[in-house]
Amino acid sequence: MGYPHQSHPREAVVLSKHFGDAEARTLAGWKARGGYQALEMALGMAAADIVTIVKDSGLRGRGGAGFPTGVKWSFMKPGDGKPHYLCCNADESEPGTFKDREIMRWTPHALVEGCAIGAYAIGAETAYIYIRGEFTEPLEWMNKAVKEAYDAGILGANAMGMGKRVDVHVHKGAGAYICGEETALMNSLEGRRGNPRIKPPFPAVAGLFGKPTTINNVETLVAAAHVLKNGAAWYKQWGRPDNPKSTGTKLFSVCGNIARPGNYEVPMGFPFKDFLWDLCGGPLPGRKIKAVIPGGSSVPIITAEEAEGALMDYEGFVAAGTMLGSGGVIVFDDAQNMVKQIARLARFYAHESCAQCSQCREGTAWTTKILERIRDGQGTMEDLDTLLSIGDSMTGNSSAS
Amino acid sequence: MSHGPSASGGALARAPHGHDDTPYQPVFVGDRRKDLDAILLKYPTKMAALLPALWIVQEARGWVSEPAMAEVAKALELTPAYVKGVVSFYTMYHQHPVGKYFVQVCTTTPCNVCGAEDVVNAFLQHTRCGELGATSPDGRFTVIEVECLGACGFATPVMINSDFLESVTPDSVPDILAELP
Amino acid sequence: MCLVEVEKAPKLAPACATSVMEGNVVHVHSPKARDARQGVLEMLLINHPLDCPICDQAGECELQDYTFQEGRADSRYQEPKRFNPVEDFGGDVLYVANRCILCTRCVRYMDTVADEAVLCVSERGDRAVISKFEGEDLTHAWAGNVVDLCPVGALLSKDFLNKARAWELDRAASVCPNCTQGCNSVLEVRDNTVVRMKPRSNDAVNQFYLCDPGRLDYRWLNRADRAEQPMVRSHGALAPVDWEAAIAQAASLLKGNAVHVLASPMLSNEALFLLGQLVKAQGGSGAFTVMTGPEAPLSGVPDLALRAERAANVRGAELLGFAKGGNPLAGLTTDKVLIVADHDVSHLDATALKAKAVIVIGTTLPTALSHADVVLPIANMAEEEGTFTNLRGRVQRYFQAKAAPGLARPAWFVLSDLVAAAGGAPARYAPGEVFGALAASHAHFAGMNWEGLGLSGALPAGGAA
Repeated sequence: MGYPHQSHPREAVVLSKHFGDAEARTLAGWKARGGYQALEMALGMAAADIVTIVKDSGLRGRGGAGFPTGVKWSFMKPGDGKPHYLCCNADESEPGTFKDREIMRWTPHALVEGCAIGAYAIGAETAYIYIRGEFTEPLEWMNKAVKEAYDAGILGANAMGMGKRVDVHVHKGAGAYICGEETALMNSLEGRRGNPRIKPPFPAVAGLFGKPTTINNVETLVAAAHVLKNGAAWYKQWGRPDNPKSTGTKLFSVCGNIARPGNYEVPMGFPFKDFLWDLCGGPLPGRKIKAVIPGGSSVPIITAEEAEGALMDYEGFVAAGTMLGSGGVIVFDDAQNMVKQIARLARFYAHESCAQCSQCREGTAWTTKILERIRDGQGTMEDLDTLLSIGDSMTGNSSAS
Repeated sequence: MSHGPSASGGALARAPHGHDDTPYQPVFVGDRRKDLDAILLKYPTKMAALLPALWIVQEARGWVSEPAMAEVAKALELTPAYVKGVVSFYTMYHQHPVGKYFVQVCTTTPCNVCGAEDVVNAFLQHTRCGELGATSPDGRFTVIEVECLGACGFATPVMINSDFLESVTPDSVPDILAELP
Repeated sequence: MCLVEVEKAPKLAPACATSVMEGNVVHVHSPKARDARQGVLEMLLINHPLDCPICDQAGECELQDYTFQEGRADSRYQEPKRFNPVEDFGGDVLYVANRCILCTRCVRYMDTVADEAVLCVSERGDRAVISKFEGEDLTHAWAGNVVDLCPVGALLSKDFLNKARAWELDRAASVCPNCTQGCNSVLEVRDNTVVRMKPRSNDAVNQFYLCDPGRLDYRWLNRADRAEQPMVRSHGALAPVDWEAAIAQAASLLKGNAVHVLASPMLSNEALFLLGQLVKAQGGSGAFTVMTGPEAPLSGVPDLALRAERAANVRGAELLGFAKGGNPLAGLTTDKVLIVADHDVSHLDATALKAKAVIVIGTTLPTALSHADVVLPIANMAEEEGTFTNLRGRVQRYFQAKAAPGLARPAWFVLSDLVAAAGGAPARYAPGEVFGALAASHAHFAGMNWEGLGLSGALPAGGAA
């Protein structure tokens, strides 16, 4: 099914199959749709075998960085006597991105199942789902699903009656973009200001509560359940034959000046032009697409011409001079004042900077002031050089970037 | 409604910041104390219960006052200053009283290109708040611009207390306000 | 601010938070690293006021130093600067938010070292400021260290506010005289007046810290009502004489008499050693009392506290034969000569200060001792060189920071002359020589030598005692 529109025939509907289907939200409804079979399978397997399957599938992180999920899971060393944790990053704070929201609203049990599988696979007894505070409805559904799962014995000391302990807790954020960064999320979950940590140490060594931790995006964990249930080869059916590095399906959120905004699930490597025009209906009547940010507001913006030639996978967007990021496609049409909109985006980052690193704290505020001055017609040519140089100074020189 | 204090909202909204004449009534008594105890079981540290505890405070009182921060600090074995640092980091915790209905309109770029600023103006006009962050003369409304609500495909999303509205347009604002009790 | 280039690393590394690994090649001065640091400096400065001329930190400001080393010559920032009001953080600390670069050293120190998290970062982005909770001040006994930790002029000492420019100060390595911990310190002097005491690092004693009661208790080193010239009683009144006459008179009073010595636990080991020799040679006794107050530990540092006993050399006085506590006049009989060596007599019964003769070796001449027969004026600890022994037995040198008033001389110098005049060992005119004699004759100091004590001191051969 599709939401809020019907699925397009060219979509590859796996994760979004039950979007818009209210019955899929309940435990009974989820089980009727094949839910928790993957978890049952997982709990009967050796954890290492699950990691191997996920590795073989080529599944990569769907939150932004695109790190191979199975490889990340393999960093965890179960049995070292320490508590281990799984964090599910449901902060979805990147402007332009709203796919995890729909997963949690429509298929909350899919995430409970994904978390339980992930936790078991990495040797963690506890998983925390960190959901941004603004997601009141997803929070409600997730809390309900977790309670249902505990009441039914799917979670707890003897998960699914199979002798393994799996706890899943929902944690509500309170309004901070930066908590989508993995180490900031861990600090926030621990009851601290959401400042990113300096790495190393990486979370697999010292993460949540200082213990070995794996953190995965909502979409990644839900996809992993499908991978386990159907096998690595099944998952690899999607993708470009000439690019084995990007496999499976990907949810893209589309917003801005576009005829049919919403979430679309397409195979990796899907032509961006077809996506924008056929699936999303192209620009609004009488308008032309001017520019696109294809992976959430933090990735480079490209022109309509550059977008038309791009292929929608990790490597395809890099070839087009941008990134897949979190899959949040923001479309700007020819009615937009780009300086105004970029200034608005700069204001977002200035508002959200955690204040820990000076380059970001001061740089985001400074760029906002300059851009707003240019927007108001008070710019100079030197301002452009200054902007570029501030950008260089910020890039790579702070904890989060 | 997680943010809205019920009938006392208007009075709270007019109380000066942190200096109420009435003695402070603790939040964590009775069921709320039990809720906090249940939350503490989920984490290996008391500190981790800080965000949930602050949510309980805000649900009970509509905002997080300094005496409330001190109460939370005591309950979780933290210092009040530490709690203040955390409260002020997260924009959803109110450090000042707000109107009975706290209206947050997303105006970040994806919504901005779809006309979110007009939605903000419609709310400011129809609530008679006048300016962003101010509470309306009747104490019912506070309107702010909020950064990305994570529903960019449903521009313009608006949160009124914990109710999440999608695809709000300037024209739909009067009806939305009229339906509020 | 400390970004460096590490070969094969994807991005520049903050040196302060990066562990060195086998095979690392680090470039501190590569163009990439320099550019990045210049970029950081520019960011730190865009909202930082150019008020160095009226800032107490100027001259000892890390931001000023770094900017001088590798900052831009001019500013590209055209927008208005951020403004926040000055706030009194309580204790001795003032917060000038506009100068703050949000390094959060103060917040982290109060949390992890002082274990009293009264400071926090409030708000975020460029609205962030250091803040505290209303009603909870920086009153922790060790809170003043945040002023030293602050790399800029954001946290200032109210005591030192607008008192002196950093470059006008003369500095001498010293040891805080205000309790038995023996924290290493620096005495800062302007126009022969001590204006500030700051910690000097010593990992074995006080790491980088000094407590507030310690650092703020320096004014007594500047007191004006000093004994400035040697005096002897003549025709019923004290009259100024030269040093030779005063020493000769004191020696003649001692001749054939036993003594009772009231020795201040603020005196150096060297002075106490010579006083001890005098007691031994003449026969008699020596005692002292010490002021006490509540102990205040700094929980993040092992074995560091403002100690209950509020004098620097209690241990030394005990080791060198002086009895602590009780009635310090217990050994005094009227057939003895009473020597008061800068010991506080304000708490003693003045009528009990009676003896065959009274010799005052002091920085002051208290009223209770106005019946003295000889007054030998001495330097205070800021005006001489010497050593103290801390509560763990560590022997530490302190250096002269200012000149003694009038004709006052270091106590060890005066006592060296007196011991010689009374028929003892020949006088020694260098503190190192006195210490050498002490080391040769006393087990606790055995094997130590003046030069070897260096700036961090030494424990006795057997280790801490």
